[in-house]
Amino acid sequence: MAEYHPEHEHMEHDHMNIPKYLLIFGILVVGTMLTYFAATVDLDFIFPGANTLLALLIAFTKMACVMLFFMHVYWSPKLIWLSAIASFFWLAIMFAYTMQDYFTRGYGVFTG
Amino acid sequence: MSAHASDKFVYHEPGLQHQFDDMKQQEESVSIGMWMFLVQEIMFFGGLFTAYLVFRSRYPMAFAAGSNHLNAFWGGLNTLVLIVSSLTMALTVYYAQKSNRTMQVVMIVLTMIFGATFLGVKAIEYSDKYNDGLVPVTGLNKVVKEDPGAHHEAPKPCWEVEHGAAAAEHHVVNPRGEFLWTDCSLAKLAEKENFLTPTERIGYYSNGELDGNKFRDKVRIFYFIYFVMTGLHALHMIVGLGLMAWLLWTAYKGNYTAEYYMPVEMSGLYWHFVDIVWIFLFPLLYLLGRHFMH
Repeated sequence: MAEYHPEHEHMEHDHMNIPKYLLIFGILVVGTMLTYFAATVDLDFIFPGANTLLALLIAFTKMACVMLFFMHVYWSPKLIWLSAIASFFWLAIMFAYTMQDYFTRGYGVFTG
Repeated sequence: MSAHASDKFVYHEPGLQHQFDDMKQQEESVSIGMWMFLVQEIMFFGGLFTAYLVFRSRYPMAFAAGSNHLNAFWGGLNTLVLIVSSLTMALTVYYAQKSNRTMQVVMIVLTMIFGATFLGVKAIEYSDKYNDGLVPVTGLNKVVKEDPGAHHEAPKPCWEVEHGAAAAEHHVVNPRGEFLWTDCSLAKLAEKENFLTPTERIGYYSNGELDGNKFRDKVRIFYFIYFVMTGLHALHMIVGLGLMAWLLWTAYKGNYTAEYYMPVEMSGLYWHFVDIVWIFLFPLLYLLGRHFMH
């Protein structure tokens, strides 16, 4: 290889240390407790479904912590970033196209 | 060795497979392969999340009622157990990068203990569902024969029944092991406060009256989704434990060092992925109707 640099041969793997792992772990534990207590408070006065939205926001934050730091995506090549983000993009397409079908066919036509 | 011969000498890393140019290329290829697998796993679970989304948007009150009967304490405990196991898994990779064989083995054993704890709690929950008549398939619940001397109370309307299904608590007779659900008070609440969805106005009612049986069938959909999603997740945990057992053996043999630890890193990716699925399952299945409970 033309651009052969022995000192960069391995993927970098000294970004995380034990205090950093424990910090991420702490965030995940706090997030779990927050999820539980937020679910017991009725947030429907803001708008219907506010509880679910908050729960999902916390879940996405926790997922981001696990993916970026436990799964080392933060220091991974761009192609890994792309695969991770693309999977959620595809998931969003599946949700959006399924739901636009259900929401536009008229309720109750085929319910029992 | 002559100067000419040393020109042909190529340094070969001990962990490098012959089809790759160097370790960096090998590590990137392995990571991409694993991520492609995880992406299709996301789509695999995504189909079930889509089913959840469709039915929850159609019957939100039945989903809330079914969810409130799940034990949020066990669910929350299992979330914490999985997060701890994710930490020990991340530390396994960390110690492999530091070539520390003893700590690798310790961390893998801890990960396996927490993984097994998760499955144990799941088994407790599933057996509770079996005893309470909440498995959504007729014949797969605990059979309770009718007591011939029992007196029969007049059946109450479904919105005045207390405490969900709870067959075990009230010794409800269940001679065929059916899915039991008698409480439709949340539908009554939504009717009173006027936030039933159009689908619910059809799906829960017979002749303009709340129908306990029709409501039960919508709660049954929730329990189908609950069992399939948590069951598939538990299956992934069992596969993960198998992976950990293999990793334990190979790490014990001292296979993984700072030069070569990709199997540890890739098993870690799988383990964290299973953790992430649970991070979403916990609020979506256990907590979705909890704010109606007071």
